Amino acid sequence: MQIDFAGKELTVKLVYYGPALSGKTSNLRAIHWLGTSNACGELMTLETQNDRTLFFDMLPITVSSGSGLKVRLKLFTVPGQVMHNATRRLVLQGTDGVAFIADSQRSEADANRESFLNLKCNLEENGIDPERIPTIIQFNKRDMDSIRTDEELELIAQRSREPIYKAIATRGYGVMQTLRGLIRDTWTKLEEDHQLEEKFGISPIRFMTEVEAKLKHDPGTGGR
Amino acid sequence: MMQDQTNVADIMMGDVVRLEDVLSRDSVTSVCKSFFGLFGLPVRVISHEGDLLADVHRDQPLCNYLNTLGEGERECARTVSVVRDMEPDVETIVHPCFTGAVYRIVPLEYQGRPIGRFIVGPYVPAESAQPPASLLSVDAGIDPATACAHFDTMPRVREHIAEGISAHLKGVLELLLFSGHRAQLASTMQVASVRENYRELAEKNEALKSSFEKLKQLDQLKSTFLATVSHELRSPLTSIIGYTEMLESGAAGALSDGQAEFLGTIRNKADQLLGLISSLLDLGRLEAKSLDLNHERIDPHALLSDLAATVVPTANQRNVSLDIRVGDETPKVWGDQVRVRQILLNLVDNAVKFSDQGGTVTVRAEDGEVDATGASGLGAALFTASRPAVVLTVQDDGIGIAEENLSKIFDAFYQIDAGTTRVHGGAGLGLSIVKQLVDGHGGKIEVTSTLGEGTIFTVALPAADEDA
Repeated sequence: MQIDFAGKELTVKLVYYGPALSGKTSNLRAIHWLGTSNACGELMTLETQNDRTLFFDMLPITVSSGSGLKVRLKLFTVPGQVMHNATRRLVLQGTDGVAFIADSQRSEADANRESFLNLKCNLEENGIDPERIPTIIQFNKRDMDSIRTDEELELIAQRSREPIYKAIATRGYGVMQTLRGLIRDTWTKLEEDHQLEEKFGISPIRFMTEVEAKLKHDPGTGGR
Repeated sequence: MMQDQTNVADIMMGDVVRLEDVLSRDSVTSVCKSFFGLFGLPVRVISHEGDLLADVHRDQPLCNYLNTLGEGERECARTVSVVRDMEPDVETIVHPCFTGAVYRIVPLEYQGRPIGRFIVGPYVPAESAQPPASLLSVDAGIDPATACAHFDTMPRVREHIAEGISAHLKGVLELLLFSGHRAQLASTMQVASVRENYRELAEKNEALKSSFEKLKQLDQLKSTFLATVSHELRSPLTSIIGYTEMLESGAAGALSDGQAEFLGTIRNKADQLLGLISSLLDLGRLEAKSLDLNHERIDPHALLSDLAATVVPTANQRNVSLDIRVGDETPKVWGDQVRVRQILLNLVDNAVKFSDQGGTVTVRAEDGEVDATGASGLGAALFTASRPAVVLTVQDDGIGIAEENLSKIFDAFYQIDAGTTRVHGGAGLGLSIVKQLVDGHGGKIEVTSTLGEGTIFTVALPAADEDA
C-alpha cells in the first residue's frame, strides 16, 4: 500500500493469482464490464497473440470517498503458466491482498494445489508472510462438467481458513462478490495495521458501503 | 541504481510517474499540429510538473500589437502566466483574457491521478461580436481602430464546439497515454523478468559451484585416504612376504610337504594383496597427477616378446592361445617402459581372463596416428593435431561387454557384474589405471565390443621421433 497523507490518497494493490487458464483475466474483464465507468479505468492487458497473459493485466478502480480520501485500487493478474514464475514473483511485490482463482474441475485439483504452494513460496520470497496476507479463494468455472459439487465446496469452506467464493467469470457471476470480499478483507487488515479510521476518519463499514455504491452497475450508463 | 529500483517499484504498482515518461514529445506535437491544422486553435500540453511538452500556435496580430504597448505587454504576460499555472482538478476551466479571447484549460487524469493538462486558445467565442472595454482601455496609447481590426482576425469558435473538440483532443491524448503506458510497462516488465530470471540462475549456479567444490574436497579426501591406507598396508605385508620367503627357503628349518603347500598359499595370496595395494597406490598418484613418467624409446618387438613371456603361462593354464604380431613399419613407442608394459599386461591379462577355453587372444602393434586434441566436431580438419603413434590392439573372442556398460568400464572400482569379481578376482581398478596411464602418455584408448563375440581394446601411444 502507498499512503499519500498530503494528497489524502491511498493506493492498494490486489493480485489475482492461480493456475494457468483458471480465469484470472476473465475476472478482470468481467469487473471492467460490470463496474461503473466512473470508478473503473481502462483494463490493460499484456498478453501473447493467443490471449495468454504474458506479464499481467491491470485494472485501476478509483473510489473517492465522501470523507475526502481517495482510494486507488489496482487489480493485477499474474501469468499462470509455470515458466513465468519470475514475472509472477515481480507482480506479487507489495501486494496487499490476494484472490486465488481456482479451477473447479476435478482434473485441475493438482494444478490448483501446485499454484497455491507457488503463491506461498513467492510471497515469502517477497518478504510477505503468507499467514498474514488477506487471501480469498474463488472456485471458478462452476458451469463446467465434472467439477467439485456445491456440497463438496460447502465442506471445504467449513474447514478453510480463507473465505470461499463461487464464480462463472466468463458470464460475470460471482466476480463482484469475490472482489467485494477481497476488498473487505484487505481493508480490515489495513485498518488493523495502519489505523486508517484514525488517520483518515473513515470506518471500514463506511468504506465498504461507499465501495459497494461505487461499484454497483449504473443503469444510466447502459453498461459498456 | 537506486533510481532504477524506485522506478521498478512504481512500475510494480502500475503507475505513470511523469507524463513525459510515457508520451513522446514528438508524437504529442504532431497530434497538436494536426489539431491546429484542422481547427486553427492554438494548443499547448503541459505536464503535472509544469514541463511544456507541446506548443503549437501562430502569433496573433492582436497580441503582437499589444506587446508594443507598455501596459498591454504587462497585462498579456500576466494573463499567460496565470493560464500556464492553472491546474484544474477535474473540470475544465475557461479563463477569460482582457482582450475578449478565452483560454480553455483541460485536465489530463490517469488512473485517478492528475498527470497534466492542455490549453486551447486564445480564441474568441463566436458568440461575442465586439471587443470588450478591457481591451480598449488596457493602455493609454492604444489605437481602438487598430485593436478592433486585429480583434476581428482572432480565431473564432462557438463554445459548445470548442468544448466538443477539446473533449476529442483529450480522448486522443488519453489513448496515447494508455498505449505509451502499456508499452512502458511491457518493456520494463520484460527487463525486470530477465533480471529476475538471471538472479535466480545466478543463485542456483552459486549453489552448484559450492556443492561441486565440496565434492572435489571429498574426492581429494578419498584419494588421500586411499594413498595413506595403501601405504600403511604395504609395510606389514612386505614383512609377511619376506618372512614367508625365508620360511620357504628353509631358513627356519626343513618343511614338511603340508607346510610348504600352506606357505605357498600364504605367499600367493600375499602377492595378490600386494598387487591390489600397488594398484590403489597407482590410482591415488594418478588422480593426484603426481605419477612421474620416465619417457624413453621403447622397441615394440622387445615390448611384446617380454609380454608374451609373462602371459603365456596363464594363457596355457586357461587353454587360451596367444597370437602376437608386430607390423613391419611399427615405430618405437615414446613412453615409460614400466608403465607401458603395465598397460599392455593389464589389457592382455583381462583378455585371457574373459576368454573361453580354447579361445584366442590377438595382440598387434602397428603404426598409426593419435589425435592430440580429441576434436571431432565442426571444422575438425582445422583443429585436429594428429601425430604418429604406435597402435596396440588387444582382441579377444570372449563374452564381450554390453553397449550400455562400455562408457563405465574405465571408472575406478567399476565391475560390470559383481559376480565377475568372485569368478575372476580384481577390484575393478585395472582399466581405470590403464586409462589414466594412457592419458598420462598423451595417448588414447578406445574399446569396441559385441556381446558373445568378444572385445577389442585399441591403445594409441605417441611414437618416438625417428631421429631422437
